[in-house]
Amino acid sequence: MTLLSALGPGDPMIRVEGITKYYLGATVLDGVTLDIPSGSNLGLMGPGGAGKSLLLKIIAGLVEPDQGRVLVDGHDVGTLDAHKLAQLRFNIGMVFQNYALFDSMNVGENIAFPLRQRGGVPEEEIQARVREQLALVGLPGIAHQYPRELSGGMKKRVSFCRAVIPAPPLLFYDDPTAGLDPVTSSKIFIHLRRMQQDGGTTAITISHDIDGIKPICDRFALLDHGRLVFHGTRDEIEASDDRLVRQFWDGFSDD
Amino acid sequence: MISRGLAAIGGAFNGLAFDVGGVVMMLLKILRRCLPPRADGPETWANLYRVGVKSFPIVLVTAAFTGAIMVIQSGLYIKQYGAEGLLGWGAGYSILREVGPIMIGLMFSGRVGANNTAELGTMMVTDQIDALRALAIDPVSYLVIPRFIAMMIMLTLLVVVGDLTALVGGALTGEVLLGVDTRVYFESIVTLITLQDFLSGVYKAVAFGVAIAVISCHFGLTVRGGAVGVGRAVNNSVVASAIAIFVIDYFMTWAMQ
Repeated sequence: MTLLSALGPGDPMIRVEGITKYYLGATVLDGVTLDIPSGSNLGLMGPGGAGKSLLLKIIAGLVEPDQGRVLVDGHDVGTLDAHKLAQLRFNIGMVFQNYALFDSMNVGENIAFPLRQRGGVPEEEIQARVREQLALVGLPGIAHQYPRELSGGMKKRVSFCRAVIPAPPLLFYDDPTAGLDPVTSSKIFIHLRRMQQDGGTTAITISHDIDGIKPICDRFALLDHGRLVFHGTRDEIEASDDRLVRQFWDGFSDD
Repeated sequence: MISRGLAAIGGAFNGLAFDVGGVVMMLLKILRRCLPPRADGPETWANLYRVGVKSFPIVLVTAAFTGAIMVIQSGLYIKQYGAEGLLGWGAGYSILREVGPIMIGLMFSGRVGANNTAELGTMMVTDQIDALRALAIDPVSYLVIPRFIAMMIMLTLLVVVGDLTALVGGALTGEVLLGVDTRVYFESIVTLITLQDFLSGVYKAVAFGVAIAVISCHFGLTVRGGAVGVGRAVNNSVVASAIAIFVIDYFMTWAMQ
């Protein structure tokens, strides 16, 4: 049972308002505000340690901000009780930066886990969908293997399969192609674009592969030292004269 | 210098308050989710096996030698006063009421509690706990409740089996080293040991199981700081469990006199 949408006309699917987070006395996110319209894919860029993964976890309700609020599908994530937050999370699929595969389960069990926990899907269909997902990411026949037997790139792809198998309307990808070869990265990005086109998913994609996310994202944001340096459409980022934005977008450094 | 010392004392007090409060909060979360009782079936069975069945060999060895040591220690006085008929009672009373539950509880804490903290801690630092939450699964219901049930049930069973093993270990040692007939040994147990003596140890085992489960889960789910943090949490978990065992034992012994 998922939470019913509370979106008003014209409201963005995700609204981040003044999110600030402190950690050990340092400000790791500083008043971040951005909107993500329904059906769009936001490419979240920034140097390492800028706070991108933390922001994604805050949007997913996994970390509480010290200031500000996040509205997902019209619901204030910070004010939802545990039951309603769980219902909201039925709508969210998430690929974690360091895979977060369950060590005690094999690949097939990891991918099938969301479907089995939610129930209502026959076991034969679960098995078929697991095989389909694995084939899609170029890993057929590894369902019986355990995460400890896989390379980093393979784990990333399995993590991707687990996030997308329930076909949630909201998808958060934390560096989904890190550690992958260019061919597999390209397959993943094509798959992301297809899901967005076919299913109308709203997504946030953190990636350091800027050329990879350019074709699949329609909005872009750049974080630096916890501050939002840029947030806008493709046309706006291409027109931006901010030096850091240009460095990231065009791929050059000051050196 | 003084301010640094005060800061250290304050930090230690803060840490202690955090952990004591955290353990109480963890217990309340568990109790809340146990009403009405619901636990993931496969996860609970897996934990019952892992926690209980796999601990049997080490518990049997520990218990057998504990019983033997109790008989050797009391053997000196038994011989001196010619009270062979009281050997079974002396060993059995202390094994059933105190030594059995405490020794097995400490072994259980070192083996199962430490393992539990390390496993949950590793899941924390590798985002597996966050992944569960992102999949709309409550980590306490899915991970903690099955472990809580398994530890409570299995430590109780292990103490019962361990008690019996310790009594047998004591009987064999009495026969071989002190020449006390096993029939005399067991007769004194049957005649002089009461059901209350046995149940006293069983009640303690239940309480120790609850304490070890709650403490090890609390330290596991509050790990920060990667592999170093996991190691620190395991250490704290074992120490806190040992302290809890002795404190609980003290109050329960006092209450059941």
